[in-house]
Amino acid sequence: MTNAPIIPLTDNHQAGRRVDLSSGKYLKLWQGPQHPGITGNMSLELTVSGDEIVDLRTHVGYLHRGFEKLMERRTYIQNFPIVCRICVPEPDFNEYLYAATVEELAGIRVPERANWLRNLTLEMARLASFLQWIGGQTGAFGMGVIGQWGITHRDYVLDLFEELSGGRIYHMYIIPGGVRGELPEGFEERARAVLDKVENLLGDIERAMFHNAVFKDRAKGLGVIPREMIDSYGITGPNARAAGVARDVRKDQPYLLYDQLDFDVVTASGSDTYDRAWVRFQEIHQSLSLIRQMLTRMPKSGPIHTQLPNPLHWKIPAGQTYRRAECTRGEYGYYLVSDGSGYPRRVYVRGPSYTHAVALMESMAVGANIADVAGLMVSFHTYPPEIER
Amino acid sequence: METSLVLKIAYAALSLFIAFNYGILLGATTYRIRARVQGRLGIRLYQPYLDIIKNNAKRTSISHGIMFYLGPIFRITGGVGTFLFIPMIYGSVVFSNFSFAGDVLLVLYFIFFGQLGMALGAGEGGHPYSAIGVSRGLAQMTAFEVPFTLAIIALAVQHNTLSITEIIAAQQGGILNWSLFTNPAATAAALIAFLGMNMGNPFSVVTAPQEIPIGPPVEYHSNYLGLLQTNRSIFNSAKLILFMNLFFGGATNLIVMIIKTFLIYMITVIIGVAFPRFRVEQSIRFFLVVPTLIGLVGLVIALW
Repeated sequence: MTNAPIIPLTDNHQAGRRVDLSSGKYLKLWQGPQHPGITGNMSLELTVSGDEIVDLRTHVGYLHRGFEKLMERRTYIQNFPIVCRICVPEPDFNEYLYAATVEELAGIRVPERANWLRNLTLEMARLASFLQWIGGQTGAFGMGVIGQWGITHRDYVLDLFEELSGGRIYHMYIIPGGVRGELPEGFEERARAVLDKVENLLGDIERAMFHNAVFKDRAKGLGVIPREMIDSYGITGPNARAAGVARDVRKDQPYLLYDQLDFDVVTASGSDTYDRAWVRFQEIHQSLSLIRQMLTRMPKSGPIHTQLPNPLHWKIPAGQTYRRAECTRGEYGYYLVSDGSGYPRRVYVRGPSYTHAVALMESMAVGANIADVAGLMVSFHTYPPEIER
Repeated sequence: METSLVLKIAYAALSLFIAFNYGILLGATTYRIRARVQGRLGIRLYQPYLDIIKNNAKRTSISHGIMFYLGPIFRITGGVGTFLFIPMIYGSVVFSNFSFAGDVLLVLYFIFFGQLGMALGAGEGGHPYSAIGVSRGLAQMTAFEVPFTLAIIALAVQHNTLSITEIIAAQQGGILNWSLFTNPAATAAALIAFLGMNMGNPFSVVTAPQEIPIGPPVEYHSNYLGLLQTNRSIFNSAKLILFMNLFFGGATNLIVMIIKTFLIYMITVIIGVAFPRFRVEQSIRFFLVVPTLIGLVGLVIALW
């Protein structure tokens, strides 16, 4: 990342911080934490003048569970069921990154087939997460039909996760040393059937959403992120790619088997809500293709787990590492420090939602219409649970 | 009291009872159709009855002043008032209601009366979401009134009358005599305004839950909400019967009325499931351009 200068608050934004509520020209509104237009457990404090937002402040803390601190008091293996809970809709990236950092410090080699299975679950998680997001994005503009379609098809993917891991939301499938279980018999056929269903759905969604005049009216030109903000705000993922920045950890620093798989980094140039939606929509297509490639090319047999030391007395050599992966929202990272004991000295989780839901949202909402707050927030695709670790 | 007046009141009460139940079943059917499009089963047809009974059985201890109490009363007065001046079945003594020579103007007034009352009531509640919903609702209402009024004026000029019964009479004798065919522009303008009147997508921002307010109802609960739900059923039936009478040749019996009004209502349902919603200023811009121009064309056709 370049050392781009921090962009100062816009004039509008600074004016927003100076509003005089007693003047009667402004109204203070709270959106969330319980509100259908908010994405998860956070709230937005809006100062509006008529329908225009002059200031927005974000408030998090409603879901703080202290995971990072908790992990310092638990053994490495005890932390494994905790990490997935950091991001509810897409927990698998936490499992993978935690396992990868532990394996790197402990010098553990993961069997090849386990890497294929890990990669498969990460793409399935991406697909499920995007299907949930598309429901949120259209729902925020009042198009509940696509929301229901998306959630229904996400459930088909969750059915596959349930078969694979026993859990629909928290899978706890990727563990240090490999994965927890083999693919069930007939899984590949059932997975392909689900992919076909999702592909059919995408055709309907494209016609109903992206060719819809009202959706275009609402989404085009809304929340345009200037390209110069990308680095200074630490914006990653589809939010950056919609601004024309072809940045994707899967290509830039390939992990697992992404260097052996065929996919493109989708970009756009408009950087508005419509383009962000379009980039994510294309990434759903990419995800379907990646899952199909993996189902075809994955070794049909082989070990899926490395023998670990006794987990109750497992000490990891002192050291530190940072591993990252590309989740649906952008760059997800885990920083792990070991002091050589049986407990991590420090675990730090870098979730993209922290940047996108707080700094970016506060900046981009100023000047927008209050009816667009929900649509704008969903267009940044944020999951507040990962802000509060 | 004269026997004929007593009978007229009894007939009107019967009409109101039918309209209320029809409105409720229509609403429930709509929910089910929407649900099927979304891939769900939807509610049972009797669910709205349970909702109304439950809400009317509740009481509140919150007071926001007299105007707050009167809001739903104004609303239901608007709904019932609208209905009572619209003949439900053409040529029927029982279902003619209180229609008279200038009833179009009175109905126009009643259609907007309820919303104004609600605005005053919800504004009294003091909740900022209500205020936003009210301002959005009134702004949008002002906008869709323009094409709707143009369409009504076009019909009045075309048929040289301000009586709904006479407008229906002018459309008898064949399907091609319906205003839909004699003045398609006025019909189109009115139907677009009807979408706004129903506050369904794409004109649902007034009561949009995601976009901050869910409108005035955010403050109305318990029996207030029960009244509003009752009104919604009656008002829906009234609007549909009015549109059927003005543009689709009216109905000579209850079955024809049900078929025609159901099909008219499906227009809003289909558009509602296929579109997201406009922001309020986008709605206003749309109403003041597209249907208004179409309404003006309708007026020209009528004058020609």
